[in-house]
Amino acid sequence: MSTTTGAGSGTPGARVGEAERSSNTFLGDVWVNYKRWNLKAVRNPFVLVVSLVQPVIFLVLFTQVFGGVVEGALGAPGLNYETYLAPAIAIQVALAAAVTSGVGLVNDIENGMFEKVLASPMNRAAVFLGKTLAELSRIAVQIAVVLALSVALGAEVATGLAGALGVVAVGVVFSLWFAAFSNALALLTRDQESTIIGANLLQFPLLFLSSAFIPLERLPGWIQGFATVNPVTYGVDAARAIGLGRDVITVVDVPGVEGIWHTLVPALAVLLALDLLLGGAAVYLLSRASSSAVR
Amino acid sequence: MSQDQGRYTQALRNGSEATERDTEPDRPYAVDAEGVEVTYSDGTEAVRGVDLRIPRGEFFGFLGPNGAGKTTTIKTLTTLLRPTAGRVRVNGFDVASEARAVRETVGYMAQETSIDPELTARENLRFACEAYGVPRDERGERIAELLDLVDLADVADKRAEEFSGGMKKRLDSATALVHDPPLVFLDEPTTGLDPKARNRLWDYFREINDAGTTVFLTTQYLEEADQLCDRIAVILDGRIVETGSPAELKRRVGGEVLEVDLADDEGGERGRDGEDENVRERAVEVALESGLFEADATVEPTADGISVTSRRAREHGTDLLVALRDAGLEVVGFNVHAPTLDDVFLAITGEHVGLEGEPAPAEADGGAGVGR
Repeated sequence: MSTTTGAGSGTPGARVGEAERSSNTFLGDVWVNYKRWNLKAVRNPFVLVVSLVQPVIFLVLFTQVFGGVVEGALGAPGLNYETYLAPAIAIQVALAAAVTSGVGLVNDIENGMFEKVLASPMNRAAVFLGKTLAELSRIAVQIAVVLALSVALGAEVATGLAGALGVVAVGVVFSLWFAAFSNALALLTRDQESTIIGANLLQFPLLFLSSAFIPLERLPGWIQGFATVNPVTYGVDAARAIGLGRDVITVVDVPGVEGIWHTLVPALAVLLALDLLLGGAAVYLLSRASSSAVR
Repeated sequence: MSQDQGRYTQALRNGSEATERDTEPDRPYAVDAEGVEVTYSDGTEAVRGVDLRIPRGEFFGFLGPNGAGKTTTIKTLTTLLRPTAGRVRVNGFDVASEARAVRETVGYMAQETSIDPELTARENLRFACEAYGVPRDERGERIAELLDLVDLADVADKRAEEFSGGMKKRLDSATALVHDPPLVFLDEPTTGLDPKARNRLWDYFREINDAGTTVFLTTQYLEEADQLCDRIAVILDGRIVETGSPAELKRRVGGEVLEVDLADDEGGERGRDGEDENVRERAVEVALESGLFEADATVEPTADGISVTSRRAREHGTDLLVALRDAGLEVVGFNVHAPTLDDVFLAITGEHVGLEGEPAPAEADGGAGVGR
């Protein structure tokens, strides 16, 4: 991270201080990078659309093809499959969109911007915070788009607009660990294709071996077992608890909390712990790559 | 730039203004490095004890083949790499403990073109202005000025991915100058460019230097260093093997290089690789005994004939051709050229160094394994 210039130590101190002041503050540096990554996202609507395509196809095909069959298996009379599936699709969007975080980093390394930024006086933590915040805002917008589409297709959000915002928030919290994972892949492989393939390969097993599409109790035992340790289960259950306005989690049981909090407390705790763990790993790899920027 | 920053930069630039910084012994040097060593984690010793003192305002050239340690040295001076050993001050700041102050007062153009291809030329420059803290109200003017300097004003709002290699390099060099740094590092800025694009960049670099900016340029080409630099250090295998003005270096090489291609003697004795050793040996003898060249001129056989390195190569070249013909040797081609980096290395180290993109005459042919 940034090296202190030891202002006040020795004769040059005062002058160094002045030189430094002309540069941005920490928040200024965050803002500069936030703007750059947003500009890149807008410049490249293709990337925005691509990470939405698959989830939207899933949403339409699954509800149309399996809707009639699955609704009986949901265990809740009157619940349509659109409503059940929408929170899972929100998590799928978060998963697909988070991959682009690492891809952006690889591109930056490949076109020299990574090193250029390291050579500048910007605070390095602020640089990567700005990039991450830009990606999270983009993911929030993408989830909002797909939720609106679900509602148009017949899904209902029991908790209303506040609930919809809650689903977006869960999606953002969920995306962070996968974004960190894709950044770690990016720094380890330094290769765009490996990063995309590595992250994408994981997506389908994670989605299908979770509570995303069908209630877990309808699935074979080994899938139920895997789903217990699958982060997607926690993301989907948290989003679904908000979407349906009731407790849905089956993989853990936290005594003492009732209703949707019976789902939200353990799910968010697991996701935040995962964010910290993988975020920490990504930050470690990033600072290692920054301190010896040798290609 | 704030007033303070402006004054501060000005002080670094001129060295004449009496500031407290100027009273320190380190002050006159834009770069002051002693005993720099860089060893990578895999054990590669990229830099093995480099001492550098570059006065402010100098156009300094760092000349060496691929892998000699040029880029590693530049990355150490720009705080991107931490030296394993040694002391480095840049613009009076320590690269380890005052990294941020170093970053604020230098411009850096990396060897690989470093621009964001998805942004326009103007946006790339704006981002650089923001990154270096150029005050908001000065950005517009500064960007316009730089776009003019590098002749990209017409395409300012086109995305950089549409640019040619030369345009990208020019944009890259402009982004290194947004904060009007008193010292600029240019790492092989013209590698891979066509001569026209290269000449244009050379003009910009001269302009920057004329305006008082210290320039630290690395290159593989003696010609480039010769054209631009006040002083050159030659680096090989992580060590500086020679320092001097371009004229001194060329003098060291001993003048220009005359190459003569000779026809094989039909009935002659064949050497190991099918070349006619005899013809070349006789040619070397003729050249040495002709008395045309000074005593320290070097004459050596090459793949196709002989080469003579001499201050009188141009002057007495034709006389040598006549002498060779009189000795019954058939000349099929010749040329006189300025010494290349390889010739410099040959003079300094007594060895040829394989150079990419600038094949040394005697290295160009696999059959050159004769009498080094």
